Amino acid sequence: MAEYSCLVVEDSPMMRQLLVFALSRVKSLRVTEADDGVDALRKLASARYDIIVTDINMPIMDGLKLVKRVRSDPVHKETPIVIITTEGSQEDRQRALQLGANAYITKPIQAPQVISTVKELLRIE
Amino acid sequence: MANDPREKTEEPGRDLRSERDEVLQRFTRGSSFARELLQDYEALEQRLRSLEGENAKLRATIEADHAVRDLLKKIETLELEKAELVSRFNRVEALQSNVSSRMTEAEHEFSNLANLFVASTQLSSSLSPRAVTRRIKEILAQLVGAEAYAMYLVNADGTELVPIASEGVPGGKLGPVRVAGSELGEAFASGEARVNEETNSNHGSPDRPAAVLPLQIDERFVGVIAIFSTLAQKPRFSTVDFELFRLLGRQAAVALVGAGLFMRAEHKLPGLEAFLDLSV
Repeated sequence: MAEYSCLVVEDSPMMRQLLVFALSRVKSLRVTEADDGVDALRKLASARYDIIVTDINMPIMDGLKLVKRVRSDPVHKETPIVIITTEGSQEDRQRALQLGANAYITKPIQAPQVISTVKELLRIE
Repeated sequence: MANDPREKTEEPGRDLRSERDEVLQRFTRGSSFARELLQDYEALEQRLRSLEGENAKLRATIEADHAVRDLLKKIETLELEKAELVSRFNRVEALQSNVSSRMTEAEHEFSNLANLFVASTQLSSSLSPRAVTRRIKEILAQLVGAEAYAMYLVNADGTELVPIASEGVPGGKLGPVRVAGSELGEAFASGEARVNEETNSNHGSPDRPAAVLPLQIDERFVGVIAIFSTLAQKPRFSTVDFELFRLLGRQAAVALVGAGLFMRAEHKLPGLEAFLDLSV
């Protein structure tokens, strides 16, 4: 079975725990955690990830800046990115998608929704 | 009268002739009869051949009928088998759909339990009042989807609920609330959570909160959490939210008071003697 790696970027330990908890249910997925955008870039520089799940509102470097940086990184420019945020408006969704995010999930998150979005982007059955 | 000798001699000749004629006639009749017999024989032979042909045709038809009957029987058997297979397939499909819906249900249950587990772990993983308060706020914002909310503790004489933390509420709007005659006070006094089911939870306000949860330590009520409104994309509370309300009601105040006492004890852990005589 193919193995995929996922980088979860979230500053809140509680949400991080919840996301890791949910995504660990996908058998072929190996999950790595990052506290914020800068930590995520550090991890992306040292390893290749198949998908990134990131919060938008984070200190130091927010999720949208992270999306911009990832899209200019030759290794990860094609990597699918899932944005998670409290913002539910259509404009925010458009902004995130225009910057290069592939999917958008609003809080409060539901584990089945996160799992199905990640599976869909990775084309896992 | 003298007899004519020729007459005498001609007499036997005539007999012979007549005899010959008779024989010839008989022969001719016999020959004709034989021809007729031959003709009849040929006709009969032809008729026999024709009957044999007809017979062969009839046999073939009967055999074909048998084959058709066999085929019809086979079709009938196959139809029965098909019906049985279709019925089995339908049963399996129904079972699969049932399993699939139960899987979805289980996934949702798992998700809800994960939320409760994470919330509970977070509440009990710090002994700093600030950290506990931050985690309560996180549970409200991230798991429940609350947009404006406040946590109140009751004052020493039990007459007022005093706000100790809030989010999304203008500072001026938040102040002590009298227990008597207020919605927050009613939830506090009765010890029962109140959920406003008349309007969508994302349309609530400080005057008309979407939900009020009493905070409890053992059998004693010490405050409330008021969720004034939820995020725009969250118009109503779900089953897991009510579970989270129960969890917050039971654990938030315990964690907060525990952290407060620990801070007052200047972060000193109680000695072993404090646990020796628990009589459990």
